Amino acid sequence: ATEWNVSLWGKRRAFTEHVEKLAELVSEKTGGAFTMNISYGGLSNNKENLDGISIGAFEMAQFCAGYHRDKNPSITVLELPFLGVSTLEQERAISEAVYAHPAVQKDLARWNATLLMPTPLPQYNFVGVGDVPATLADFNGMSVRATGGIGDAMAAIGAVPTSMSATEVRQALDSGVVKAVSFAPHAHMSFGTIETGQWWTTNLNPGTVNCPVVVNTDALNSLDEAERAALMGSLEEAMDYYIDFYNEKTMAAWGPALDERGIEQVTFSDDEVAAFKDAAAAPAAAAWIEEMSGRGLPAQELYDLVTGMLADQS
Amino acid sequence: MEPIEIGLWVTGGLLVLVVLGMRVAFAAGLAGMVGLIWIFWAKKQYGLDDFGWALGVAVKTAGQVPHSKVSSQALSLIPTFILIGYLAYHAGLTKALFEAAKRWLAWVPGGLAVSTVFATAGFAAVSGASVATSAVFARIAIPEMLAIGYDKRFAAGVVAAGGTLASLIPPSAILVIYAIIVEQDVGMLLLAGFIPGAFSAVIYGLLIVGMALTIKGFGPPVSGFTWRQRFAALPPALPILFVVVTIIFFVYNPFGGDAWGTPTEGGAIGAFVVFLMAVWQGMRWPQLRDALMETAKLSVMIFSIIWGVLIYVRFLGFADLPGAFADWITGLHYSPMLILVCILLAYAVLGMFMDAIGMLLLTLPVVYPAVMALNGGEAVAAADSTFGMSGPMCAIWFGILVVKMAEFCLITPPIGLNCFVVAGVRDDLTVQDVFRGVTPFFVADAITIALLVAFPWIVLWLPSLA
Amino acid sequence: MATASLVLTDDSTLSKVDRALLALESRLALLSGLAVFALMVLAVISVGGRNFFNQPLPGYVDWIEQAMPLIAFMGIAYVQREGGHIRMDIVVGQLRGRPLYVVELITTLAMLLLMVLMVWGSWAHFQRSFDFAAPMWSRDSSMDIALPIWPAKLLAPAAFAVLCLRLCLQAWAYVRAIVTGHAVAVPLIADAAQQAAMEADQLTDGD
Ligand code: NA
Ligand code: NA
Repeated sequence: ATEWNVSLWGKRRAFTEHVEKLAELVSEKTGGAFTMNISYGGLSNNKENLDGISIGAFEMAQFCAGYHRDKNPSITVLELPFLGVSTLEQERAISEAVYAHPAVQKDLARWNATLLMPTPLPQYNFVGVGDVPATLADFNGMSVRATGGIGDAMAAIGAVPTSMSATEVRQALDSGVVKAVSFAPHAHMSFGTIETGQWWTTNLNPGTVNCPVVVNTDALNSLDEAERAALMGSLEEAMDYYIDFYNEKTMAAWGPALDERGIEQVTFSDDEVAAFKDAAAAPAAAAWIEEMSGRGLPAQELYDLVTGMLADQS
Repeated sequence: MEPIEIGLWVTGGLLVLVVLGMRVAFAAGLAGMVGLIWIFWAKKQYGLDDFGWALGVAVKTAGQVPHSKVSSQALSLIPTFILIGYLAYHAGLTKALFEAAKRWLAWVPGGLAVSTVFATAGFAAVSGASVATSAVFARIAIPEMLAIGYDKRFAAGVVAAGGTLASLIPPSAILVIYAIIVEQDVGMLLLAGFIPGAFSAVIYGLLIVGMALTIKGFGPPVSGFTWRQRFAALPPALPILFVVVTIIFFVYNPFGGDAWGTPTEGGAIGAFVVFLMAVWQGMRWPQLRDALMETAKLSVMIFSIIWGVLIYVRFLGFADLPGAFADWITGLHYSPMLILVCILLAYAVLGMFMDAIGMLLLTLPVVYPAVMALNGGEAVAAADSTFGMSGPMCAIWFGILVVKMAEFCLITPPIGLNCFVVAGVRDDLTVQDVFRGVTPFFVADAITIALLVAFPWIVLWLPSLA
Repeated sequence: MATASLVLTDDSTLSKVDRALLALESRLALLSGLAVFALMVLAVISVGGRNFFNQPLPGYVDWIEQAMPLIAFMGIAYVQREGGHIRMDIVVGQLRGRPLYVVELITTLAMLLLMVLMVWGSWAHFQRSFDFAAPMWSRDSSMDIALPIWPAKLLAPAAFAVLCLRLCLQAWAYVRAIVTGHAVAVPLIADAAQQAAMEADQLTDGD
């Protein structure tokens, strides 16, 4: 029998449903010969999950690219602002395409890691307090909590990105230290920003985080034929289940959660969003391509892969 | 061998090391390290060739823990609050506070000890770290109590127990850490700590008065201060009020506008204000250097325990002990209140051997979800709950209970940080002396905890207004 | 502080090495203290910048996370030298002379074993974040403003190595104490220290 340890964090939620489903399917298909023991935070810190994979302390883990850009520079292409992803299915398709690229696989091979599946998340948007922004100009001078590339994008329209840990966000929003906070909907619910928030931007869509599930390459290679088939043959179904779950459960709860609390939904005009994109997207992409090329990555190729796929789909 | 059996063996080994007198931080780290090696080796069926692999994986897993766990903004409050304590000492704030408390309160039986308790309670509104509070009051209050004939052990005990108030009365590093471990609202928890903290101080005070009335040769009351002297003592104590108001205004802007910053920042701003006062009072580099060295020593000691215990916790994670424990607790067929009381008693026993933060880090990931489940879940409404309070309120109530237990463990032998610190300040006191002197306060703490369990509104009234 | 006086010194090589190492250790501890001070200043800059200039300190949290290892690790050997890491003294408090030194030697060696492994493990952690070929040698960076993390990670094995030196010295001191019956260069429990000091006084009186 093979038993794998899987390192996740937090608690079981939409974000982890594909891993839970995968464990269930694999155990079913192998008649209990191959099981996965999923731990929420017991085996590692979330920022050290790649380290644990590299050491061989556990066989499978999830992490987010944005936690540590330098550990996984190649996949940060998927976190660039304003790529134009609008559905989870698109996010899944472009993630899988990027994960299949040899340069990306080589990047993760430094950690003895093989990319297994993505965790597609919707675009980030802002929950805020105080005056409802009617136009992008209203963000000028507004203190917002947004990290990394999204922070840079907000700075491009004059907002003031403010640094704080996720656990302090609610208190900061409550007390007005920041006026708006960007997360994906499930995180807005779990960090409680919607308990205080008064408005929500429906379509700023500045970007999202990319959080792959990886396995230790040696552990993957040491599986026998049947175990490997059970694992690889279940990925598709686990991903379908995840996307269904996120769309049907989380997103279905999101609208009513906003309405229940009387949170105003702000939708910006297409022109405004396009202006935002012009101000922030191109410079960020250019900077990314230049930096990553300097690291010896085929940055332009990766960027074109992503934008090309999205252009084909629309 | 099953991982859980390994877990129990290693835990036994840890106790032996601790009893032998190995430094607690490192005994926990070594137990965790050995446990990890064992777990990984067991995974390969103890093959002789596999020992090297198991050793390497275990060492590298443990080797991540110190950096990964101390690099946290939440934990940055610990050194900041310790620094406030030492700077306040150099700014003369603690002395002024003690003097004012003495002139106003020392006329009651056991007066100087009562004054010490209320001075530490007042100082608690500035200080967020129990150990630092005990350390600075040991220098000020103990000599005065000895001068009028208090038993030196009791005098030390008063200071060690008084220090614990700093972690209930906001600001408090440990309440913030609890909030972050269990992902609850920091502001509400800090608010909730105020009344139980003041309540604890009153119980301590009543206990001392009772002892003074019954025990012969107890320290005499200090009377004869005129009203003029009493009021004269107030202005020098005002700066401390200024610091308190600064921190409160900073975090909860009373003018209805935006707050200036988060509670974490509030602590640092408080430290800065006290720093400026200390410079004003004539603190120069030699005194600042002393304050920084003292802060560094206490901080390093506490952080060593944190990462040492967390290596052990990581091993428990691989042995899946927390999961087994949670299943066991939620499967018990006793009344939820009995289970809660048993959990608190378990904290009292565990607290004998642990420091406060180490204990929270070790237990909360397991115990907190179990307690929330007992109450009916995180989102339960008060009407449907076991303990008659909503999920968030239960989190606050349990947080205050746990922090009070954690403070209790700072004064219980054989490992009681506050007592170590007081003994460290005074050449004439051994750790055993302080433990003996602090014993009466166990009774006071037991009463306080029983009342907080029986009457949750003592904790929940203030946060329910917010 | 009382603790400083609990380590006896004399003219032996051991004691000289002890004091030389102490000079290094106390500088490192002061560095820990200065880092706490810096943390406070950082908060003032961040809060002031945000409230008065609408210009918060970029990556404030990242900078705090960088400073924390400095605070947490640098003084670790100094605290060991002063006997400041807490422990239970129920057993060692009852022992005197050679039996005490034997128990102390055992726990010191156990601690040394752990710390040697921790130097290895924390060095490996550093190595995974360090890459000579990468910009700023960085293979691991902070979340908000992508600061390289390897310098902070390097602090752990560095401080732990100094602690290993201190533990080697203390092991040597306990072995010597078992042989000679007199302990120098190691922290003693208060009354044991007084007793030892008294014995030393008697020796000088007898000369
Ligand atoms: Na306090
Ligand atoms: Na204790």
